[in-house]
Amino acid sequence: MGHHSNWPEWLYVGVVIALMCWVGGEAWNAERLIEHIPADAEIIKVTGQQWFWTFEHEDGTKEIGVLHVKVGKAYKFEVTAKDVDHSFNIHDYVVLMDAVPGRINTVWFAPMEVGEHAIQCKEYCGLIHYNMRGKLIVEAADPST
Amino acid sequence: MILIIIPAADYVFAAGDEPAGYLDRRVVIWNLFYKMMTVAFTVGSVVSGTIIWICWRFRESHPKATPTPYEEQGVW
Repeated sequence: MGHHSNWPEWLYVGVVIALMCWVGGEAWNAERLIEHIPADAEIIKVTGQQWFWTFEHEDGTKEIGVLHVKVGKAYKFEVTAKDVDHSFNIHDYVVLMDAVPGRINTVWFAPMEVGEHAIQCKEYCGLIHYNMRGKLIVEAADPST
Repeated sequence: MILIIIPAADYVFAAGDEPAGYLDRRVVIWNLFYKMMTVAFTVGSVVSGTIIWICWRFRESHPKATPTPYEEQGVW
């Protein structure tokens, strides 16, 4: 066999490594950004159990199945479960966090517009899992506006 | 190089600390999703396209096909 050039192989290896670095960097940065919880975020304790969600605000107010929040404010959810694994999901705001008994997982979001959004369980948790739904109601920051 | 790396790193680490407004996680997450999908489909099409071209070009019946040194010598 005569001497042959192998630059296409090296080019291929270089492109693959560069792409992997870029993909990894983008994903790392996105995760870093969305995990940066604002210091002034209000804490809401979220508890999942067969088959409904309970919410407890910082002032002690409790809600079942419905969660009221204010537009333009940051909220940090502390998510846990009482019985089996659930997963807290607000699809429209891409909020998704496992609710695991004995653990407190955190996720945060800041609603941008007034409106209503579905809350659902995203981890199969038993017979009525399909109907373990809730409602997120985003209200105006000031009732007079 | 330094002029690019340091400001870029500074920008990346400072992001999310801006006092005005909160980050919209929908934008960040869906942007990442679309970028990753673009990369995945581009890589997929380049790789599958290369394999298809190799199969087509190096088939025995290709007009420009030549025997390998092993085939010429009849030993391998």
